[in-house]
Amino acid sequence: MNGLRASFSIAAYSPLRHLSPWAAGLFTVAVLCAGHVPLTHCQELPAPGKHSGSPPITLHFVTWKADHPQAWDEAIQRFEQAYPHVRIKREIAPHSSTAYHDLLTQKLRNRDVSLDLFFMDVIWPAEFAAAGWALPLDDYFPHGEREKFLPATIASGVYRHHIYGVPSRIDSGMLYYRKDLLEKYEFSPPSTWNALVRQAQAILEGERTTHPLLRGYSGQFKQYEGLVCDMLEFVGSHNGSFLTEDGRRSNLTAPESMQAVRFVREQIIQRLATPAALTYQEPESLAVFIQGKAVFHRNWPYAWGLANDPRHSKIVGKVGVTTLPHFSGGKSTSALGGWLYGISAYSQHPDEAWAFIEFMTSPESQKYFAIHASLAPSRLALYADPEVLHANPQYKNLLPVFQTAQPRPRTPVYPIVSHILQRYFSRVLAFPKTDILEEAQEADRKINRFLSLIRDARE
Amino acid sequence: MTKPLRPALLGGILLAVLGSLCPFLWFVLTSFKSQIQVEAIPPTWWPDGSLGFYASALIEHRLLHYILNSVIVACATTIIALVVATPAAYALARLRMAGKAWILGGLLCVAMFPHIVIAGPVWQILERLGGLNTHWGLVLPYVSLTLPLAVWILTTFFQELPFELEEAARIDGCTAWQALYRIVLPLAAPGLFTTAILTFIYAWNEFFFALLILTDPERQTLPVGIALFQGEFTMPWGEIAAASVIATLPLIIIVLLFQRGIINGLSAGAVKG
Amino acid sequence: MTQSTRERTTGWLMVFPALTFVAVFSLYPAMDSFLLSLYSEFPGSERSFIGFGNYAELVRDPVAHQAFIVTLGFVLLSTTLELLLGTSIALVIHERFKGRGWTRAAVLIPWAIPTVVAAQMWRFLLNDQYGDVNAILFGDQVDAYVPWLADPWMAFGAIVLADVWKTSSFAGLLILAGLQVIPDETYDAARIDGATAWQRFWHITLPLLKPALLTALLFRTIDAFRVFDLVFVMTQGGPGDATQVIQFYGYKTLFTEGRVGYGTTISVTVFVALAILSLFYVRTVGSKLLQREAA
Repeated sequence: MNGLRASFSIAAYSPLRHLSPWAAGLFTVAVLCAGHVPLTHCQELPAPGKHSGSPPITLHFVTWKADHPQAWDEAIQRFEQAYPHVRIKREIAPHSSTAYHDLLTQKLRNRDVSLDLFFMDVIWPAEFAAAGWALPLDDYFPHGEREKFLPATIASGVYRHHIYGVPSRIDSGMLYYRKDLLEKYEFSPPSTWNALVRQAQAILEGERTTHPLLRGYSGQFKQYEGLVCDMLEFVGSHNGSFLTEDGRRSNLTAPESMQAVRFVREQIIQRLATPAALTYQEPESLAVFIQGKAVFHRNWPYAWGLANDPRHSKIVGKVGVTTLPHFSGGKSTSALGGWLYGISAYSQHPDEAWAFIEFMTSPESQKYFAIHASLAPSRLALYADPEVLHANPQYKNLLPVFQTAQPRPRTPVYPIVSHILQRYFSRVLAFPKTDILEEAQEADRKINRFLSLIRDARE
Repeated sequence: MTKPLRPALLGGILLAVLGSLCPFLWFVLTSFKSQIQVEAIPPTWWPDGSLGFYASALIEHRLLHYILNSVIVACATTIIALVVATPAAYALARLRMAGKAWILGGLLCVAMFPHIVIAGPVWQILERLGGLNTHWGLVLPYVSLTLPLAVWILTTFFQELPFELEEAARIDGCTAWQALYRIVLPLAAPGLFTTAILTFIYAWNEFFFALLILTDPERQTLPVGIALFQGEFTMPWGEIAAASVIATLPLIIIVLLFQRGIINGLSAGAVKG
Repeated sequence: MTQSTRERTTGWLMVFPALTFVAVFSLYPAMDSFLLSLYSEFPGSERSFIGFGNYAELVRDPVAHQAFIVTLGFVLLSTTLELLLGTSIALVIHERFKGRGWTRAAVLIPWAIPTVVAAQMWRFLLNDQYGDVNAILFGDQVDAYVPWLADPWMAFGAIVLADVWKTSSFAGLLILAGLQVIPDETYDAARIDGATAWQRFWHITLPLLKPALLTALLFRTIDAFRVFDLVFVMTQGGPGDATQVIQFYGYKTLFTEGRVGYGTTISVTVFVALAILSLFYVRTVGSKLLQREAA
């Protein structure tokens, strides 16, 4: 076993050194067997830059248990066929953004060299760049190529003029509504928040006898990252913002920001959504909507599929989707979500890792994911692709939503800022007697302190 | 003892049993529902007997595979913890040596470390040893985390055992090791048993370290496996309920079979101080 | 002399493996953490030594104060309830009756369920729309359904409830152990004197049960002080930080925010608080045991 292991010198540069010799030997045999079939026809296929004699390179990719596992298995298999000298070893982390972040950063903080590829939520590139965890991709990812993606998704991967991530897809907040109810009351989808409140109240009034439990609005207001997204959409569409333009100071005490927060507290939580929304993440809020108990619903693109799936939903075919409303004088703002591929700065195989990213974000792969896993493509051209639109007719309406997507603050201390924001919003919404100005000032003070620490550290 | 308050006792039994079981039974009912029933408003009581969630938990989410990993980790932890804790407890209970109070007090102290604070450094040690993503990499910290309680219980347990037999054996020329293995261990079976159960349940249930140390899906344990059912925006209550039921069954069987052992071991060991 | 030397050597040999484990995987990490707590470190900045600066910050941090108060409230409420319920459970399963084995097994089940699973279960049961707790209380009256986790006080109560449900039986076990060592003769004498059941419990059982109660209290306090999983799964500390216990705050600063120094400081402080509390307990419960060890 040891001879075998030495002769292929796997131990030198793979995480197999973590295994016992016995397991490593076994694994080597397995890799050889698996590698053998593609290796033979690899002579015909042009595999860039590698000859078939060298042992395969294993890339460790931190991912999650996908909602459409077969689609991912298939895509990765295709990559391994196209690049027979590279194997992808997936490591599974929780799918919730925060839990994934905590696990991944634990590895990166310790400079784990066995890690090559990971996903970044759109809010992390600044943090990862400042900490030196993510490899700058400027040379791999030329500007000409970047222009083919939706601009917001590219912007989210950039920090201080370098790019660190390639968007795997796009996610953004949107307004779902009950088409049947709006038609019944002859409303067109609301373009302002005030119109939304008026329409919801008229519908609730009219349906009181038949649907006594109907609510006006269902969204995500639990104290977690989603709360920041939902609040960004209200504050942003009132010309407010969390940080000032230059990103150096907190902007929560600006009147626009505070008025929007007051609106959420008084109109959305206390009138339309009921305080129950303070316990909702995406699944709970969606359940209310697809059980037919809400007129309006804020969610991400994935909700479309579930709302129209008779195994989950009681409102199949009665669902409409549009851009989120805005306040008069503001413009519609939708929180940008989604995941970027990144390469670990400690990876020993950045070229192969890039090949993987390039493959997975190619037009063909994104089209495949759009059709087989309903992942909204980050490449603009695919929104004109007939096959993609045939599989996802709703994309036609969604493209304008995607183009209003706004990133959350981009700062290396984002997790800290986010916790302060979560505390602020959750307190204001859960304790109706708190003074918004006071709470906003406290949050401002704390955020400014951390932003200045970052500046001090650098200047 | 006579039972002067029969109705009160009956009431107590009912309350204790219902209070303990009902919340879990509702979850059991949920596991037999169909998808649309799970989130029905208002909730429906009786499931339509669908086994879909079980199929999905076992096949799509590979539940048995996580259970197997958990069995390996929990058994290894239990065995090693017992092997290490028994002689230590024996020495602390029986042999003349200095600093025993310090050792016992120190162990209690160690048991109080918040897991979060030691998780980072433990991770680094394991990385250096090559223990990340291995079963033994999880077993080692588990043993260390369960040792204080195990030693504490076994020490008090050994102290309650009669000394005479051992003394006779020692006079006959037995070493301390021989006395431990030939005479004390057979007598101490209930205490060992209790310690084993406590350790096993700890290792079976532990989540935080398992999540950090194991990211290789081939090695992840049950609590981590169930936690990973959750999608980015979806919460598969039905599958989680089904998995919980399956995961809890072995423990229920253990408790049913061995409740007498658990209780006897504890009463002889833990409290008599 | 030689025999006692040999005995000492054997003793140390027997203790050595256990001490090694604990030293490598608990003691060293704890020391390491303590050192980390003397540094300032967060993403994007260099690590710098600041002595007890993090501790000074902790003293001034209002969020930490609130978390400590929430934790103390949680510890007080949950341990009190667990001791009360635990004693009741112990008294019940101490009696002899048909089906005692099954009753004991049933009572132990909550303890055997993984905490993460139990927490998910409670989150589901307490849902404001499809949760069974509402269905039990209000039946089809859906408009009366309560969003338990939305109200700061009730969310706190829910965390306590989940913890009490999960661990009362463990406290009950420890107390039962104490009950079993009280000789029956003690009761017989009292009964002859004409004491009522309540008087017997109050004047005989309870005083004799004190060591067991204190042991249960010690173990439950240590665990309740470090509560994490329940909050992590059920509320994430919300709403408005009403359920943010100190360990969860420590986790967030350390793992999510990457403020390694400050996050470690929080956990080290939790440990010190616990150690002081335990010292106080051990002086009352464990002193007898420790003295005998030392002798």
